[in-house]
Amino acid sequence: MRGNVLAIAVQLSGLVLAPLLPGVIQTIKARLQGRVGTSPLQPYRDLRRLWGKRSVAPYDSTYVYRLAPSLSAAALACAVLVVPIGASTIGWLGSDMLVPIGLLALARFSTAAAAWDPGGGFSLMAAGRDLMFSVFAEPLLLLAFVLVAIGSHSTDLVQMVAAAGDPHVATLPAHWCAALAFGLVVLVETGRQPIDNPDTHLELTMVHEGPLLEYAGRDLAMLQWTAAARHWLMLVLAVTFFVPMPAPVPWNLLTLALGVAGLCALVALVETSLAKMRILRVPVLLGAGVAICMIGLASWIAQGAL
Amino acid sequence: MTAPAWLLIIGAVVTCGGIVVSAVPQSMRTGLAMQALGVALIGAAGGMVVVGDGSVGSQFSNGFGPTVGVDPLSGFFVASIALVSTPALIYARGYLSESHHAPAIAVTTGVFVLALVGVVVARDAVTFLIMWELMSVAPAVAILLVSRSPETCRAVLIYLGSTHLAGVGVWLSMLTLAHLGVFTDPHSLAAQPMVVQSLLAGAALVGFGTKAGLMPLHSWLPRAHPAAPSHVSAVMSGMMIKVALYGLVRMLFEWLAPLPAWVAPVLLGVAALSCVAGVLYALMQHELKRLLAFHSVENVGIISLGLAAALLAASAGQRQLAALAFAAAMLHTLNHALFKSLLFLCAGSFQKQVGKLDLDRLGGLLRTMPLTGASFLAGSMAIAGVPPFNGFASEWLTLQALVQLALHGNPTGTALGALGAAALAATAALAVFCFVKVVGLVLLGPHRQKAVASSHEVPPSMTGPVVVLAALCLAIGVAPGVVLGQMGHLSPFGALPASAVGITLAVPGSGVFAPVALAAFVVLCTAVLQLARRRAGTTAPSPMWICGQVPDSRLAWTSAGFTKSLLLVLTVVLRPRRTVSVELDGVLVHSVVHESDVPHLFDELLFRPVLGRVLAASRLLRRTQSGSLRAYLTYLLVTLVLVLVVVRVGVG
Repeated sequence: MRGNVLAIAVQLSGLVLAPLLPGVIQTIKARLQGRVGTSPLQPYRDLRRLWGKRSVAPYDSTYVYRLAPSLSAAALACAVLVVPIGASTIGWLGSDMLVPIGLLALARFSTAAAAWDPGGGFSLMAAGRDLMFSVFAEPLLLLAFVLVAIGSHSTDLVQMVAAAGDPHVATLPAHWCAALAFGLVVLVETGRQPIDNPDTHLELTMVHEGPLLEYAGRDLAMLQWTAAARHWLMLVLAVTFFVPMPAPVPWNLLTLALGVAGLCALVALVETSLAKMRILRVPVLLGAGVAICMIGLASWIAQGAL
Repeated sequence: MTAPAWLLIIGAVVTCGGIVVSAVPQSMRTGLAMQALGVALIGAAGGMVVVGDGSVGSQFSNGFGPTVGVDPLSGFFVASIALVSTPALIYARGYLSESHHAPAIAVTTGVFVLALVGVVVARDAVTFLIMWELMSVAPAVAILLVSRSPETCRAVLIYLGSTHLAGVGVWLSMLTLAHLGVFTDPHSLAAQPMVVQSLLAGAALVGFGTKAGLMPLHSWLPRAHPAAPSHVSAVMSGMMIKVALYGLVRMLFEWLAPLPAWVAPVLLGVAALSCVAGVLYALMQHELKRLLAFHSVENVGIISLGLAAALLAASAGQRQLAALAFAAAMLHTLNHALFKSLLFLCAGSFQKQVGKLDLDRLGGLLRTMPLTGASFLAGSMAIAGVPPFNGFASEWLTLQALVQLALHGNPTGTALGALGAAALAATAALAVFCFVKVVGLVLLGPHRQKAVASSHEVPPSMTGPVVVLAALCLAIGVAPGVVLGQMGHLSPFGALPASAVGITLAVPGSGVFAPVALAAFVVLCTAVLQLARRRAGTTAPSPMWICGQVPDSRLAWTSAGFTKSLLLVLTVVLRPRRTVSVELDGVLVHSVVHESDVPHLFDELLFRPVLGRVLAASRLLRRTQSGSLRAYLTYLLVTLVLVLVVVRVGVG
């Protein structure tokens, strides 16, 4: 019972800790660029400031526009609770690997549809690009998941995470291919360079930021939290899948924290060293990811045949 | 006789009565209501057969006498037909109120629905084929009653031509099976050489596949479905193509045993092509009903992916997985029937209010038609495969079947399962893209023409059916396990695992998918956040951000603009055409005309050359028809001599 309560507490902490990740990435990035930068807690300050302000709605907008921030935040909150932290999860929300994919699609649908409500060109251009990326990123994410699932022969996230701790899994070429592919998905879903520049203020170059243009106040706070939750989801999944975890409870959480911090540093390093790609080149990169997954699949089939 | 049998007979009689009554203009609405009641009774009978797991009437017979019967698989299709047709018939009461030839269309609709039921309850080859032809002809009549423009006539010609050419496959396979006595004894085919089974499977795939709209045999579908009156389109897209899949299921899963090994991989390939290419072409369409028609190709592809996975799993001896994949296909059949008919009915309401359904000329209909608009939004989310609607539930199950095939299968199963799963994931993402576009262009944003601004909500006879269908989409999305629990025995592979039929779903080797909890959490969380949002104070109205310029309706974002990035990425595959012509007035530019379209490559590269050859061949053949009596007498003489020679040689 106590273990259960602890697991739920840890799981819920994801909702609170999520904004820390973009903050940490920004701080490390600033240091890498020789600036002092903001505190890792800056996203929390932004959220508090936005939470105190009124929302705005463009003329003629409907409930689709007003519901989108809450709906996408709710979908992401659900996804954060489904993805296991430290090999346990809240049971009743489900634990299948396809559920977070569906919830991400729900968030994407609601924000992109909301971009049509005011009908502004900037938001729609960005929403179209985001959806275009997803056409290539979603099969890539699924294939990466399938390759990870080879270790446990199950698509249950808890079992997948548990099996990822097995040293035997690390010797599978398929697992390494999955890691590479998953890295690409992390960059797409979190909207980081070289795919998308989260710091841009030029509307024409926006992807993930574009549909947020019209929002203000609490709506914008929810959408910014959603973006942070997407970081949490992807980075936590990456660490739990590809970093072997020690079993006892405090140690695996510590490993997870260190792993996520390390990945944040890696993302900051990638973002500092690589320029943003041309948008039309991104599918080529993601297609390469699909090819990597195919190689992983072939290696697994070959291993089974041998 | 049992209760379902009585219900079936009463339902059929009431429907026939309704058809007669609706032929009189004054009593057309009453007639349509009677038809709806009769079809609902027939559907209830089908539902009772499915739930009761018995069967009613005769078994399949090899004879030619008319026999009728319902087993659980037929019952499921009968119930699905009723779930789609009853709302469509009620909707027709309002929809047909001001149209020309309304009684004739009402009669045709009733005949069409009865023919659909007839195909799935037929228990001998002849009844099946008669109903099959009636089912093919009825929508053509309905289309021609609405419009006789050259385009429509061409669409009908292509529809009838392709379904009848492909119908050869259906006739061939059905009659051969009756001849070999397969309907009563499935083992009698095993005695035949393998080539017979291969030929039969090929004929069935082409025949039923064309009618189902599987690529590359789908060319008729995006022409015929948009041309029909909307309630007929709803039944065509919702159930007619599924009835073709019913035939395919009977063939592949019951009669053709043992199945040639090539069938499952080929079906999987065709299904993957149908779903990805279907949705990709849907995305590039600019007319709502044509777009929806392409989505039917996509969804038939998804269903066939499930069927192919079931065949692959069965051939590897994994009966439980095969049962799951089969159930996934059936659940998606039901789901697609619901949301596609919902979308077509809503499209009909929009068309009635606005006129044409050019996507770039609508906009903001959610404000003028709140009920229809909200139902359309629900249907769009369902077809996009977004939780908590029913599309996600059946796509989850289909994906699970493919992924489990990849994880637990032999090398072929692994490769094909993973490829199918990746194709389905891409399809789901494309469907989200497509329906974001549709929802945005149809329901949201500013009105793009005056007719849209002056549109208003349609009468309750037209909103009621779509609201009910939307509620059904949500209900099945929240509790798919309950529906699956009633469908477990449809497959020839035995029962579904107990974990897959409850409030939460889990297949062997998967995690738990808890649709009720997910839906409750998302709805509650959204509600709390909305309340929090209200507490911050009133929402301030504001203009949208376009860098401080004045909004101009001519700069409104279009369908083509939204999908441009994807089109640019896939230029090699889609080969868009673009022409810009500049008219000069002296040295001044007078006007610039820009035209762009995405040609349908299947038509251009596959059908046009074939059609050209066929027409050339028929021109050659026409030379023999000189009209001169002597020539015909010569033909007769030659034929007679040939027959005598054949008889002589045959006897010798």
